[in-house]
Amino acid sequence: MTVSTFRASARWIRADLRARRGQAALTILAVAGIVTALITSATLLEDGTNPWRGLFAQTRGAHVWIHTKDAPDVAALSRLPGVEQVAGPYRTAPVTLAMGGKKSPVALREATAQPPRVAAPLVDGGRWLRPADAAGVVVERSFAEALDLRVGGPFTVTALNGASHALVVVGLAETADQGFYPEWTPGLAWVLPQTLAGIEPALGRSESVTGLRLADGEDTLPVVHGAVTLLDEQIQRMSTWREVRASMELDNRLLGLLLALFGTAGLVAAALATANAVGGRVLTQTRDIATLKSLGYTRGQVFAVLVAEHGALGLLGIGLGTVCGLLVTTLALDGLSVLPLSPVPLLAIVAGTAAVVLVAVALPAWRGGRTPPIPAAPAAPPRGRLSRVARLALLVRLPPALVLGTRDAFTRRTPAFLSIVGLAVPMMMITIGLGCWATLDDFLRHPEQVGQAAALTVHPDGLPAEDAARLARADPDVLAVYPGSEVSALEPEQTRSVLARALGTSAEPYPFSVVEGRMFAARGEAVAGQGLLDLLGAEIGDRVRMTVGGTPLIVHIVGRVVEPDHDGQVLSLGMDSLAAKDTVPPQFYGLVLKKGADPEAVGARLLAASGEALEVRRAVNPAERLAVIRVVIVALTVVLALLGLTNLLTARSLGLRDHAFDLAVLKAMGLTPGQVAATLVTGTGLLVVLGVVAGTAAGASVVGGLIDLQGHTSGVGAGIGRTPSALTLVVTACTAIGAALLVTSVPARRAARAQVPVTAR
Amino acid sequence: MVNTVNLVKIYQSGGVPVPAVRGVDLRVEAGEFVAIMGPSGSGKSTLVHMLGGLDARTSGEIWLDGRRADTLGESAWALLRRQKIGFVFQFFNLIANMTVADNVELPALLAGASPREARERREHLLGALGLTGRADAAPAQLAGGEQQRVALARALANKPSLLLADEPTGNLDSRNTRDVLKLLTDVHRDGQTIILVTHDARVASLADRVVSLLDGQIVDDGAVGTFRRRPKGTAGDVVELRG
Repeated sequence: MTVSTFRASARWIRADLRARRGQAALTILAVAGIVTALITSATLLEDGTNPWRGLFAQTRGAHVWIHTKDAPDVAALSRLPGVEQVAGPYRTAPVTLAMGGKKSPVALREATAQPPRVAAPLVDGGRWLRPADAAGVVVERSFAEALDLRVGGPFTVTALNGASHALVVVGLAETADQGFYPEWTPGLAWVLPQTLAGIEPALGRSESVTGLRLADGEDTLPVVHGAVTLLDEQIQRMSTWREVRASMELDNRLLGLLLALFGTAGLVAAALATANAVGGRVLTQTRDIATLKSLGYTRGQVFAVLVAEHGALGLLGIGLGTVCGLLVTTLALDGLSVLPLSPVPLLAIVAGTAAVVLVAVALPAWRGGRTPPIPAAPAAPPRGRLSRVARLALLVRLPPALVLGTRDAFTRRTPAFLSIVGLAVPMMMITIGLGCWATLDDFLRHPEQVGQAAALTVHPDGLPAEDAARLARADPDVLAVYPGSEVSALEPEQTRSVLARALGTSAEPYPFSVVEGRMFAARGEAVAGQGLLDLLGAEIGDRVRMTVGGTPLIVHIVGRVVEPDHDGQVLSLGMDSLAAKDTVPPQFYGLVLKKGADPEAVGARLLAASGEALEVRRAVNPAERLAVIRVVIVALTVVLALLGLTNLLTARSLGLRDHAFDLAVLKAMGLTPGQVAATLVTGTGLLVVLGVVAGTAAGASVVGGLIDLQGHTSGVGAGIGRTPSALTLVVTACTAIGAALLVTSVPARRAARAQVPVTAR
Repeated sequence: MVNTVNLVKIYQSGGVPVPAVRGVDLRVEAGEFVAIMGPSGSGKSTLVHMLGGLDARTSGEIWLDGRRADTLGESAWALLRRQKIGFVFQFFNLIANMTVADNVELPALLAGASPREARERREHLLGALGLTGRADAAPAQLAGGEQQRVALARALANKPSLLLADEPTGNLDSRNTRDVLKLLTDVHRDGQTIILVTHDARVASLADRVVSLLDGQIVDDGAVGTFRRRPKGTAGDVVELRG
């Protein structure tokens, strides 16, 4: 393009954009929204928001943590192949922090004033311990945030012997040693060795924690095996970096997937909307384009002008979206140390979106370039006889406006079809969003269906187990009390331990949410989460040899349950299936409350009744952790609605353009302005109704399956997906259609009242 | 200046060939004002469109300024239009989104003028056509006659050697018709070659020469009086002639 054409084209583009600012802004916003969603999604999926990665690198964290009764043989541990450095062993004592009437378990860990070389906590507020800080404590940040602890504030702990010690928070620190509170309990706090010795003088009531930093994190398993062989009976429990990472990432992955799904579908919708908008624009501007050609524009130049104009809007949207995406990932997800998206996926998203937008623009622009240069020749829509639908409408004596509008809707088949699809895709995604919403609501309303029949778990802690059970049963709001124990189970290849949860007995099982097969009913029978079935490669009905709590056991898996914890890698069985050493006394009790009972109130009552000796935990509903999904659904619905609106505006302007000339005829035939407006509204409205209904139906039919698919892959298991209620669907569809008709009716009424133009188009 | 040799145009309408122009030999000299007359469907618009390259010929030759033009491709025709041809249409065809000023400057810019030159040319043309005050108006705000005057200014903005006008007064009332015709005679007097299509004998009578088309063939080709430059006249002359 020469300078001269460039100048002329710039004028044309400027004038055209000025004439349709609103639509241009819509295009930019819609594309920007989609790019934002895609970048956020990629950041989440890439683990950029998982603070573990950054924390582990910054603190030079240890890959494996071993909790032992006494200090282990450090020299032997450091000789294990793959071990690079050893952190600790640190003496750790369990204490209770009393804050505002609430008791929280704390692991008080010794630390020197000189930060260690491996797994050194990262001071985030205040300062690290100094040799003179006899009453000073540094608190892990998430724990401090959950309990609203501030630097300089009190930190009064009660040791197991009942003695109370007043400490002062001198600093907050982050660590990759364990996950965030409250998902990972107990909370962690560091004190000087002499302080710890003062609080808990009895060595027998504390444990020793040792961290192993490996040369390569992938070697974790052999090292774990080596440590188990070496320390054997001494080991109380172990945790690896994978568990810490998984606990920190928690729901980011699901969120990322959701965003990716919406982003990709949104991109398709945006491509359709863009193609529709450009195509519609080319049709409405046929005469102007012909005039440009008669002035000396070549086919290629018309194409270039159209691509430049509409492509620039898309690229502007992409630029805006990239900025928004980067801002969202750093600002909105704050509190997490976000690593920015690496350049490759970022480039891929930007380039991919740009390519999609440019192709969507180029196809109709190419058609625009082929416009014949005779501006006088009106590009009339293909006329023809009344369609079958229209004739049927006449037959059943529908008002003429409806009949004529019905006919108008399909005079241009391809744009009509594209308009319907362009509206159906966003509508489908909105319906899917509503389905996710309904599923979350369902989680909250029926926690028993996601395996959380017990709203509270009670750990006897200081009390004898029977007393704890008696107290729980005595509460008027408690419907049932199930004894439970959790032990680790080793799968047949002995490479990975999973959680075995005994809750209730075979005769009186806990109300697990069995979605396939049946509940266990005899000793040796068990139900499993999807994650475990996948891990074992087992199916319902299989018998699996496992080592449960150290005892070999052949487990007959008789059913699958919805299992929201531990990626579904949980084996659930009756207490009678476990060895007595693990079940007598039960480690905890699961409390099923009566309908409508407030878990907080019951928990407080139990605490009071036991003289604060019980430890009462409330089940964290997965929906509470997934609350951010609702924000995402709302934001995406807005973007999708923008896309729908873009399509609608295109359909509307095309409808007006095609039929403006008929207005005179219609009026001459005796139609009132109201009927003329109704004709125009029907023409566009019919497409809207078809698109909305098709989209809603498609969305409603796939949403359950999609959520179940996600449930399956995440280990929770299928059986959680919910379709939005019929009422919700009807209200949503009616809202969409109503809004669309409103948008259409204003210009239609104006057109119907306006003086009929006598010029050709 | 313009020369056609056995020019033929046949449209295909539902597989049936419909001849619109059937072997037209037309020669127009530089500075000539030729009116092409004929009833509806006689092929006069098609002929003018072919002369401007808006429509492709079926057979025959078109020569412009001694160069053969009918063999040019679509893009080459576009470039030729930029440099040498100005079009005025019956329905004005101003670009609705652009101001009057931009509409007029567009062809000048396309022809390679600098923005300053284009602006000066536009100011000159709008001034000459009595539209100075309307430069920033949108075309829709103008009356029909004003719109056609803007269209004329646009057609002249690239200083074309050939002005093609397709029923320029077909959509105007008599007063506006008079104004536009006066402008055409004025630019013709300055040496502008004009080919004008009309079915109005009174409009045609302004031309140096009237070519009558019937069913795509020239049935009459005669000079109005002798081939001459008109003496400098006023609007009154036009009224007198038409009367």
